[in-house]
Amino acid sequence: MASISLHTSLTLPSLLHTQTPKPTFSHNLSLLSKSSQSQFHGLKLSNSSHLSIPSSASVKSSIVAKVTEGTMPPSFTLKDQNGKPVSLSKFKGKPVVVYFYPADETPGCTKQACAFRDSYEKFKKAGAEVVGISGDGSASHKAFAEKYKLPYTLLSDEGNKVRKEWGVPSDLFGALPGRQTYVLDKNGVCRLVYNNQFQPEKHIDETLKFLKSV
Amino acid sequence: MIRVSPPSPSLLSPVTSRPPLLNDLTLKSTWSHRAWLAGGCTTVLISLAKSVTGAADSHIWLEPILAGFIGYVLADLGSGVYHWGIDNYGGAETPVFGSQIEAFQGHHKWPWTITRRQFANNLHALARAVTFIVLPINLLCDDPVLLGFVGVCSGCIMFSQQFHAWAHTTKSRLPPLVVALQDGGVLVSRSQHGAHHRPPYNNNYCIVSGVWNEILDSSSFFEAMEMIIFFKFGVRPRSWTEPTSDWTQDSETTSVESK
Repeated sequence: MASISLHTSLTLPSLLHTQTPKPTFSHNLSLLSKSSQSQFHGLKLSNSSHLSIPSSASVKSSIVAKVTEGTMPPSFTLKDQNGKPVSLSKFKGKPVVVYFYPADETPGCTKQACAFRDSYEKFKKAGAEVVGISGDGSASHKAFAEKYKLPYTLLSDEGNKVRKEWGVPSDLFGALPGRQTYVLDKNGVCRLVYNNQFQPEKHIDETLKFLKSV
Repeated sequence: MIRVSPPSPSLLSPVTSRPPLLNDLTLKSTWSHRAWLAGGCTTVLISLAKSVTGAADSHIWLEPILAGFIGYVLADLGSGVYHWGIDNYGGAETPVFGSQIEAFQGHHKWPWTITRRQFANNLHALARAVTFIVLPINLLCDDPVLLGFVGVCSGCIMFSQQFHAWAHTTKSRLPPLVVALQDGGVLVSRSQHGAHHRPPYNNNYCIVSGVWNEILDSSSFFEAMEMIIFFKFGVRPRSWTEPTSDWTQDSETTSVESK
């Protein structure tokens, strides 16, 4: 389906920019109730009444299926930290927070993983499950999970296939895998997309806030 | 080609062995150090003199002064990037930079020793780099604006080690003018630089004025650079790992600096 492709604005000025989202395409803004460009310091693409209208020629439509609010993400089966295959369908029936992160044992990802760990009870209380996905292998995930005592599933997206299928944008002109989190409802439909590379703890705040509001 | 002077015996021993004694030879200036310092200072002064005379001849003042100011501001940024690189990558065996990397590692373990280094000893490595870079510019260039920029920028970089030493010195031992410049934000402050010497040793890298520190740290600039280097080359920076004993400050030997 045609979708507005949202590219990260990766110029140095935006690196130093403050929190205000900056829309960079104005043509179809009126068709969407709320939309803004992905950037370093926080973008929430959440929208309860999102209109995904086939774009005019002035907006690029992506040839890769992208997960946005209101869409059903493509299913996957990936190996967890114990080498066991885990399917996305396993989580149907309850909300699930799927967070894509660059790599195990890097500072931002460690902060994020530990923040999810520390708030895990709150996610469980909201009836949700948490799943982390990166391109690292099962052995790396196992070591990472054991070192930081992570109570949730980490999945190994070798070759970053699922990351590409879901359309997780890269940062810094493609040099860095993006840090993007999706909240799927109990029917498996995406309800929230949050992107923030360098403030990883905000992923926990935003997703919890959203889960409490629904 | 920059010649690296052979390391003295105590630098060849592992960093973890012992702190330098107060009268350790490694802290003293040699004639080689003084020669490089003289070379660096001469090239900087020539650059500034040519800028001033060129400005007078052309009857321009604002542009060379502005260029000098920009040189001062960018020297701080340059000091931060260089410091970050040296702190996080390479080791004693790295070509060209090896002895500096080892010195920085030793500095983290015994920060106060920088205040015991004699002047030329402390500045000679930067003075050598400045001599090599600024001398050709002085010979090839006559533009007062460019020379204003180069003179101030290279001067600030060369003296950044002195500013760094002052940032490790207790207030009571500093000349009042230096304290005023630190408090005024013209030179990097003791407190700002002190933050760099606390785990995880990954912030406040700039050591001229420190004016870039806040923006570089709050924008995660160095974290971004580290992530790019990790994904492109598979190399992890030192700051990502728990500090080893080679890096963490040796608290038993800080008594000299505690007053």
